[in-house]
Amino acid sequence: MTQKICFVTIGATAAFDQLLHAVLTSQFLQTLRASGYTNLLLQYGTAGYSILKSFEAEVASGEADNHGIDISGFDFNKLGLGVEMSLVKAADDRAEGVVISHAGSGSILDAMRIDVPLIAVPNTSLLHNHQVDLAEELARQGYLVHGHLDNLSAALAESDVLRKTRQTWPPQHAGADPSGRGLAGVMDDEMGFYD
Amino acid sequence: MPAISYVLAAAVLVLVLVSSFLRLLYILPAYNPTKPHPRPRGQPTRLLVILGSGGHTSEMFSLLRDLDPNLYTHRSYIVSSGDSFSASKAVDFERALETKRRHEQGTAPVPSTYDISVIPRARRIHQPLWTTPVSSLRCLVACFTLLGPPRTKIPWRSDINQHRTERLAPGTPPHTYPDLIIANGPATAVLVIAASLLLRFLKCRGTEGKMRTIYVESWARVNSLSLSGRILVACGMVDRMLVQWEDLSRKGLGDFIGALI
Repeated sequence: MTQKICFVTIGATAAFDQLLHAVLTSQFLQTLRASGYTNLLLQYGTAGYSILKSFEAEVASGEADNHGIDISGFDFNKLGLGVEMSLVKAADDRAEGVVISHAGSGSILDAMRIDVPLIAVPNTSLLHNHQVDLAEELARQGYLVHGHLDNLSAALAESDVLRKTRQTWPPQHAGADPSGRGLAGVMDDEMGFYD
Repeated sequence: MPAISYVLAAAVLVLVLVSSFLRLLYILPAYNPTKPHPRPRGQPTRLLVILGSGGHTSEMFSLLRDLDPNLYTHRSYIVSSGDSFSASKAVDFERALETKRRHEQGTAPVPSTYDISVIPRARRIHQPLWTTPVSSLRCLVACFTLLGPPRTKIPWRSDINQHRTERLAPGTPPHTYPDLIIANGPATAVLVIAASLLLRFLKCRGTEGKMRTIYVESWARVNSLSLSGRILVACGMVDRMLVQWEDLSRKGLGDFIGALI
């Protein structure tokens, strides 16, 4: 059977239990199954282990249903999440999956650079949240899907639509860059280097 | 008799205030933009990079990915005390830079060197509020020390010494003040830049044409500036303010030349 992986990452800085709970609901797992997903991989941080364990216990006792999705997880990878994100890419025996991430700029950038479909879910419990602005703007420009905790199934459907039309990062130059060399050009200017 | 001395004192005070204000207007980059002193490539230079917490640091090294060590021959990194992540990222970045430099095989006229310095935090988490002025002052004093020539050891600062990476090649005179300061977000940036302006204000020896500043607002800030960014813009403290979203430049908050990360 062809693998199709959904990789969920909460990042390194803050806990995001709500996202872990949201992807472990019966409804969401059912949607995953219906969309052809086989695996759910969680990067759950320091506090998330117990959430996965208690879910597994509920499945064993028949209280919860994993809908045949293979669920596994790990706390964090110090070397970055490039390997895990790449698992989402299409390969010989693998269909292209999706990354569901907290809306931290680092994670978003990683996913866009690796060029995988992304659903960015802002952590609304954080104070003065500008993550929402970033997710909204990038969704508007067609780079990713802006997901909401209470409706991840809809976001998954949206990500299937975006699969075909997704923009690739980095964008073709939007601003007026006199040197054409980005920051290096500005730095050289400020240093007063002449040729 | 006392009346005359009061008047005199007041007059002196007014004179000092007015001239300080004029001097401030003169040195604040936003009110009096100056052109950088022209210089040829390949001379010894010193770049000061202010690192912040995790996200800011990652973004900074992404910004600097094309840095040419033959042009920016000495890099000084500033990290906050207790932030081992940023310090190790700086070491990683320097290693990669050295590998790249060896690979390119160019006969560099100036050796490539760097140092990492630790700055005490202006306010630690859970620190009592009433001690904040003291620790902020300590932080500001450290800023002056760090802006000065990179020394291998500061006798009375063991906390700084343990992070000083001694890569200053023998025979090369340590450069004076940084030629260029680049920052992207942490609160430390405001203090370091303020310290650099004070040195420019006092016209300290060796500061002329030095310490030009570039601030790059975080890519994560789409339609409003961060607190550091707001302070720097409001006070006109930086020579170049770069934003990474067009919306911010439309609001006149900085130059947009594309996403730089």
